[in-house]
Amino acid sequence: MRDAYLVGAGQSDYGAFPAESYRSLFRTAFDAATDSVPKGLEAGDVDEAFVGTLGVGGRQLGLSGPAVTEHVGLDGVPTTRVENACAASGFAVRQAVQAVKSGMADVVLAGGFEIMSDMSSDATKYWLGVSGETEWERLSGTTFSGVYAQMASVHMEQYGTTREHLSRVAVKNHENGAKNPHAQLGFECSLEDAQSAPVVADPLNLYHCCPTSDGAACALIVSEDVVDEYTDDPIRVAGVGAGSDTVGLFQRDTYTGIPASQRAGEQAYEMAGVDPDDLDFAEVHDCFAIAELLAYEDLGFCETGEAGQLIESGATEIGGELPVNTSGGLKSKGHPIGATGAGQVVEAYKQLSGNAGERQVEAPTRGLTHNVGGSGGAAVVHVFEREERRSSRNSSAHRAREKEQEVSA
Amino acid sequence: MTAITGVGAYAPRFRITSEAFEDAWGQFHAAGISEKAVPSADEDALTMGYEAATRALEAAEADPDDIDWLAFATSRPPAAEDDLTARLGAMLALSESATRHAFTGSTRAGTRALWAGLDALEADATTALVVAADAPQGDPDDGIDHAAGAGSAAFVLERDGPAEIVDRAEYSAPYPGTRFRNTGEDETQGLGITQYDRQAFTETIGGAVAGLEDEPDPDAVAIQAPDGKLPYRAAGAAGVGTEEVRAAATVHDLGDLGAASVPVSLASALADGYESVLAVSHGSGAGADAVVVSVASKTDRSDSDVPAVTALEGDGPLTYAEYLRQRGIVTTGPPSGGGAYVSVPSWRRSIPQRYRLEAGRCSACDALSFPPDGACDDCGALADYEPVELAGEGTIEAVTTISQGGAPPEFAEQQARSGDYAAAIVALETDSGDETVSVPAMGTDADPAAFGVGDRIETTIRRIYTQEGVTRYGFKIRPAGE
Repeated sequence: MRDAYLVGAGQSDYGAFPAESYRSLFRTAFDAATDSVPKGLEAGDVDEAFVGTLGVGGRQLGLSGPAVTEHVGLDGVPTTRVENACAASGFAVRQAVQAVKSGMADVVLAGGFEIMSDMSSDATKYWLGVSGETEWERLSGTTFSGVYAQMASVHMEQYGTTREHLSRVAVKNHENGAKNPHAQLGFECSLEDAQSAPVVADPLNLYHCCPTSDGAACALIVSEDVVDEYTDDPIRVAGVGAGSDTVGLFQRDTYTGIPASQRAGEQAYEMAGVDPDDLDFAEVHDCFAIAELLAYEDLGFCETGEAGQLIESGATEIGGELPVNTSGGLKSKGHPIGATGAGQVVEAYKQLSGNAGERQVEAPTRGLTHNVGGSGGAAVVHVFEREERRSSRNSSAHRAREKEQEVSA
Repeated sequence: MTAITGVGAYAPRFRITSEAFEDAWGQFHAAGISEKAVPSADEDALTMGYEAATRALEAAEADPDDIDWLAFATSRPPAAEDDLTARLGAMLALSESATRHAFTGSTRAGTRALWAGLDALEADATTALVVAADAPQGDPDDGIDHAAGAGSAAFVLERDGPAEIVDRAEYSAPYPGTRFRNTGEDETQGLGITQYDRQAFTETIGGAVAGLEDEPDPDAVAIQAPDGKLPYRAAGAAGVGTEEVRAAATVHDLGDLGAASVPVSLASALADGYESVLAVSHGSGAGADAVVVSVASKTDRSDSDVPAVTALEGDGPLTYAEYLRQRGIVTTGPPSGGGAYVSVPSWRRSIPQRYRLEAGRCSACDALSFPPDGACDDCGALADYEPVELAGEGTIEAVTTISQGGAPPEFAEQQARSGDYAAAIVALETDSGDETVSVPAMGTDADPAAFGVGDRIETTIRRIYTQEGVTRYGFKIRPAGE
């Protein structure tokens, strides 16, 4: 099978934008993605598109893919909407990789969007947790904060994980997000702040929960046959893994791990031929603080039950052994559901191309993204790897691009 | 002859004192009531009826399949039109072909149901279940609401048993305006014409008792109690002493129980071992029923005590503000919304699980799945399931307390009324206790802090939520043992 490469990725700011629409945010992300391609990429180059969105608010629920791709001028390009809850655009990226590897397409757009802030808070609440198991789990009175809190209750009981461990995830991710101009909650928080916030679903407090966000993100995946037309610094999609599970937590064998993440991680490592030790950074799905700790264990960053110690050791901070969520994660950068997975790939692209500004990890060659739908009903993992710089063979086809700068708009 | 062979009674755990009303209003309009029971936000006449009925069945050691006649009585049915006996029967696992009757429209409905049960046994019914449950409600500033309590009682009736019904009579005379609720209204009201109201009360009660074949000589009198004074005022008309009225009185501690007033007092008197009980109801309109229950003396029978399982104690004191919240008087109702819709037909499909904890045994691997639908949780086979009713007891595997703002909007109104709640995953056991299957469930009947990983729980049935005007009922959990 052909190799697939990540040649560009960009995102809109994440936050609450009453003056924007889902289409205008998608356009911002699309422009940022195409602009980030070192040798440039035109809309007309795109063969196919996959767009992730949950459809919060029930706006364009049908044909929401073409609704944005036609808007940005991908005229007539086959577009498929991908829905896997919070992992929608992580799976859109996976679909793009499959399309390239299968040989059916050479240049594929994988993106996602969500608008969550333009409704009354009551109406918003109806849409939170719609990816939980509706008939039983939700009707026991839970949305995702409750379900992840249940996982936390067992992890704390079994492994001695503490509320402070949870709060340390928030402190770290806010410290990183403060360095990301796209972050929705781009401010630092103290451990004391993160310990004393109002409880949402015990043991999770407000600082252990990600915000609701508007935003869009796009990634551009191309085949090995054309990669040289777009960059001399190829970033290969070295590994892809994915898995599914029961939608309801109560139907799983374990509450202290996410089997779909474990499966996705193992597949991705195997395909990439790497171990967790070979990673230089990771963007993991921290919708709730406990979710980041579970990811450490599910993805093999530490042994089962030791995530609390890992966050406490500082190993996952920027400058640590394996920086996690340098972008600020869902917690600080924001979580526009359908955009999140592609947004993680944006961070991987920035880190691997050395454009992550103040939060740049030193000379990384390999990074992982990990995107979870719901409480673990779906999960997808990608490993991206920077290859040796190539001499330019085809530089005349596209305009040369100045080295990308981190921009705040 | 007909007899009571099992008694159940229930009152919600929440209580408010007359002092709390005095603090709020400067006075308390319900004479003779020192404390009363308050239904939780997830309770109504149907769930309270279920609570009493399961206890009566347990006391009578009756198999639900043997019940061939069911009556449900309340002055406050949660739906004004919609026969709730179908749902009550399903919650109790009664046969679909059992005869069902609903009685409402008056505080006399409870004894009317009992009356009809006696008639049915004299005809062709063999085992009847009479359920009365009520939670009156009035305007917050009047006596009806100040007196309004909550509770339920249920009786299993058979042709022979320890507590025989030996005499009965009824009486009616027109007295409009004493207590009424017009179509479309929520609050029960009365014109408050003191002497007229008393006359209606005493004339009907006196008339019913006078109609009995033998002049009764009861040890205890279960008499309609709209407040804590009227039953004593009517003692003379009923030809009984105030001591006997006090012996069966529940109004002082539970408040006005409406259609369940006389049934709960009767249940309480039988549970307390009284051997001759006169039960006299009164309903506005007005009318009264008098029923004499005689427990065979202990020398005549080996097991003369009437089997009874009651849960009338309270443990949740409320302030007046909490009382207004709990009853939904100061909350605004559920928000309008969008996602996570469960249609009524989909809900109905799950009724065997919601009401009776029906799991399924996989025909391929013998493991249990809940709900018994789709591929087996254990072996993944798309095999058939053999229904297995779980026992309603188990252990908490994972739990959280949902704070304000953390609840799905369907539960926002309930949370505004009753506060934070526990949401758990519990391992529910089979009858033998050898196997478990995990289910998600909301906590009720206790503070959320009372639910911890590893704690024992039992299930009950409560209101889950109301959407499109249709209230969905299903199981919830509470700490084991009451």
